[in-house]
Amino acid sequence: MNTDKDRAEEQKSRSQESGEKKKKMPLSKLRRFVLLGIIILFLLQFLKIKVLVGGLSGSLAVWFVKLIDIFAYFESLIASKDFTLTAFLAVLPIIGIYLVFGRAFCGWVCPMDFLFEIVDGFKNWSKVKVKASPKIGYVIAAALLITSGLIGVPFFTNYFSHLTNFFRFITGGVFFALDLPFEPSVLAYSGGIIVLLLVVEYIFPRTWCRVLCPVGKTYGLFNKISLIRLKFREGACGECNLCDQVCYMNVKIARHIDRSSLRDTNCIYCGRCAEGCETKGKLVKIKLGR
Amino acid sequence: MNKGFTRRDFIKASLAVGGAALVGSPFHIIGRTAYAAKEEYEGPLPNIDVGGIIRPPGALPEKEFRSKCISCGVCVNVCHTMKYDAIATVGIKDIRNFGTPYVKDMRDFPCALCMECPKHCPTGALKKLEMEKVTMGMALIDFGLCFGWNGDVCLSCSKACPMGAKIFDFYNGEWGNQPYINENCVGCGLCVKYCPLGGSAIKVVTEKQYGNIKPSYTAEFKKLLAMSNEERYNIVYGQNLPQIMMRGRLIEREYR
Repeated sequence: MNTDKDRAEEQKSRSQESGEKKKKMPLSKLRRFVLLGIIILFLLQFLKIKVLVGGLSGSLAVWFVKLIDIFAYFESLIASKDFTLTAFLAVLPIIGIYLVFGRAFCGWVCPMDFLFEIVDGFKNWSKVKVKASPKIGYVIAAALLITSGLIGVPFFTNYFSHLTNFFRFITGGVFFALDLPFEPSVLAYSGGIIVLLLVVEYIFPRTWCRVLCPVGKTYGLFNKISLIRLKFREGACGECNLCDQVCYMNVKIARHIDRSSLRDTNCIYCGRCAEGCETKGKLVKIKLGR
Repeated sequence: MNKGFTRRDFIKASLAVGGAALVGSPFHIIGRTAYAAKEEYEGPLPNIDVGGIIRPPGALPEKEFRSKCISCGVCVNVCHTMKYDAIATVGIKDIRNFGTPYVKDMRDFPCALCMECPKHCPTGALKKLEMEKVTMGMALIDFGLCFGWNGDVCLSCSKACPMGAKIFDFYNGEWGNQPYINENCVGCGLCVKYCPLGGSAIKVVTEKQYGNIKPSYTAEFKKLLAMSNEERYNIVYGQNLPQIMMRGRLIEREYR
């Protein structure tokens, strides 16, 4: 009897919990919906539906708004040493978006994040192993900008960018399937770059995102002034360090839990720390504004 | 118990299809590139190189274009959504221009001069401009293969041309209507596609290359016009018509 009662109570509380969860979609799921939604909008261009045309390094939204990735814009600007109004107007909306959302691009829009998570699934996620400082990324980004200035070609964006190559690969594949003009070598090269990044991800988890990627580093600068931030609720922290361990980007969250909020250039606002927090009431939250 | 098409069957079938596609695709590519090479050999004006890459309409000068283009693929996909599919990306052989757009296959997919790609390029590497002011390249007629230069009346190229009378000069005579493309040509390549000869009798070269070969090309043109009937008879019936007939037999591919 007693046990039955207990069970019933347990079930009740569980259903209540799940009910609460149903009200708010967990961030990890919402993130995937946003990402897949954007990719599907890009794929619709092959059905001649013109919502998003192009790729993530440069695109055309609703056949009207031109958009350029910020790092690609600076590379093009330095390579050509010439200011173009078209390109400047194309980069403004992106700057506006990420003045609000900071480095959320990496966690919510970048397709590599999704692919990397699949690769991570093949082995147990353990704490980030490579101890290289994330500041190396800024040196690399500066070097890439100087190189593109010297050779007069947007160096990273044209050859190595994961964004360019991801969409180049999709376009090449579709054109290959439809027997339209394309270069097989472009398809092979861009596919190779993506596979290489996935292999690197398997050996050194999240080193690309955390240390190397210049696109992410550019958006990381926005973290310092953006509206979005990690908010900490006041409460007794259990000091389990789960938030730190679960973080892809090696952000030290537990150390700063006494503060009201945290802005780290490496945070991609994926919400894993918020979900990972085991303290009742969840101490960590992602919030816009103060 | 017959369950019909189970999930396992589905997985097996999809694996089989995927495997076949993986194994088959290289042959597919190799076969096609081999065929393309053959066509290149049989194309018009085999002695004249295209002389670089033919950019989409409204492109800045080569060096500026290369520095501004971030190879985002907007122009490629805009062209695809407009259903022309003219623009492809440069392959790894030309490493300096790798990934940048160009008009690859004018025989099947010429530029239709819809002027959507320069309008929508986000970087400003393609500049918005009027259709008449485009300088993609220069179309050259192979006088040895053209029907109009070998005793026939054929107006296919001039009918396909979006500029029409501005560009085509006709030197009507006993040996056909003799079309000649003057320097107002923008190089869209529509005439290349609609030439009825197998493998086309027209080739589009870059403006720079046209500057190089202009003296020899115009000299040949003037020589043909000034030629006596007897000489012309020998050339047409001795060399050109057998060539033209052979092309009709050799090039089997249907135009799209």
